[in-house]
Amino acid sequence: MSGYVKEIDQSLYESEVIGSTEPVVLDFFSTECPPCEALAPKYEAVAEQFAGKVKFCKIFRQGNRELAQKLGVTGSPTLLFFRNGREVGERLSGEIKRTELKRAVEQLVG
Amino acid sequence: MAEAYDLIVVGAGPAGLTAAIYAARARIRTLVIDESMPGGQVKTTHKVSNYPGFPEDVTGAELAQKFTRQAERFGAKIARAVEITEFDLRSEPKRFVLDEEDEVTAPAVIVATGARPRELGVEGEKKFKGRGISYCATCDGAYFEDKDIHVIGGGNSAVEESLFLTQFARSITIVHQFDHFQAEASIAHEALEHPKIKVIWDSEPRGFYGEKSLQRLRIENVKTHEMQELTTDGVFVFIGMVPQTEWLKGVVELDKWGYVPTDETMATSVPGLFVAGDIRVKRFRQITTAVADGTIAALAAQKYVRDRRA
Repeated sequence: MSGYVKEIDQSLYESEVIGSTEPVVLDFFSTECPPCEALAPKYEAVAEQFAGKVKFCKIFRQGNRELAQKLGVTGSPTLLFFRNGREVGERLSGEIKRTELKRAVEQLVG
Repeated sequence: MAEAYDLIVVGAGPAGLTAAIYAARARIRTLVIDESMPGGQVKTTHKVSNYPGFPEDVTGAELAQKFTRQAERFGAKIARAVEITEFDLRSEPKRFVLDEEDEVTAPAVIVATGARPRELGVEGEKKFKGRGISYCATCDGAYFEDKDIHVIGGGNSAVEESLFLTQFARSITIVHQFDHFQAEASIAHEALEHPKIKVIWDSEPRGFYGEKSLQRLRIENVKTHEMQELTTDGVFVFIGMVPQTEWLKGVVELDKWGYVPTDETMATSVPGLFVAGDIRVKRFRQITTAVADGTIAALAAQKYVRDRRA
């Protein structure tokens, strides 16, 4: 387990994501999902790079269907970006490159 | 300091991994790099029925793992989920920078980056990608339990994956541009008989609409030009592939569709640069033909490396 990515469930969405004072990246992942497996080490590495500035969370889709549905997430992996409790920027989904992720996070911190 | 190999294989699909098996067994120091997990398109294919040696079918994921294990067993190194951020394929040796920091070099390179799903290029497609539109049934099928979904396409992938999706969805409507499937007769028949599958022939999607996520798709009958709007919970798109060769533009010759011409040894116009698998100019693109390309490319690259050493 990493110290840089925090796994949450939907009961913590309000406090960890919406209520966060730092910008947040939220990763919906699934099992039997090669692009999710491929994203994991990149997500970890970028999380470490932005430690202290951006909070990186991940959430297991199968165990948190209601939240996925509420947010209109229908694919894994999907990354959502939040600032001051509101979703901002474009979502990333499918095969995600490290440079693409880094660019999105840089935009998030402005 | 750059890490030096004899051979770098770009892309860990069936072509690249087969090349790695052959090269590593010949004691060629081999590095395989892939921007995702190994397996290429195979790893997200639900079932493979035409690969020899597996009379009972094999899941794509399992076949991908077996290819990978076999390459690693002979000493090929596989770098997973890395991105090429800089490269020079004309230098001596050829070099790559991975994830902006690790430099690797080799005199010979086999490019086997394969193809990715073709997008429709229709209004709303980008907006709803991951919000109702998907290109990977094994990744996203479970999101659509008891839902009414649509599949676009009528080839082997579209029909196979529709059958796979029947275990989740309540109903599947295939929208196909022709009046019959291009898929193999056996699975086409299975789909037509399946109680959960319906087909709308002669039709193409024209737009995707919804609030937060996808709710409706518009289709046009290509014969009558009649437009129709359908309610949907999700759309899976399987309309063929595009070669992942954009990064090779200006480095090697590409045909007008982006495929790389080779000679029969998989050599390109650049010395020491070989290509294998779906990115090659050829008539048929199958796992078995990718494996054959990988074999030939590895043997040719081996000879290239040995001749230079001599």
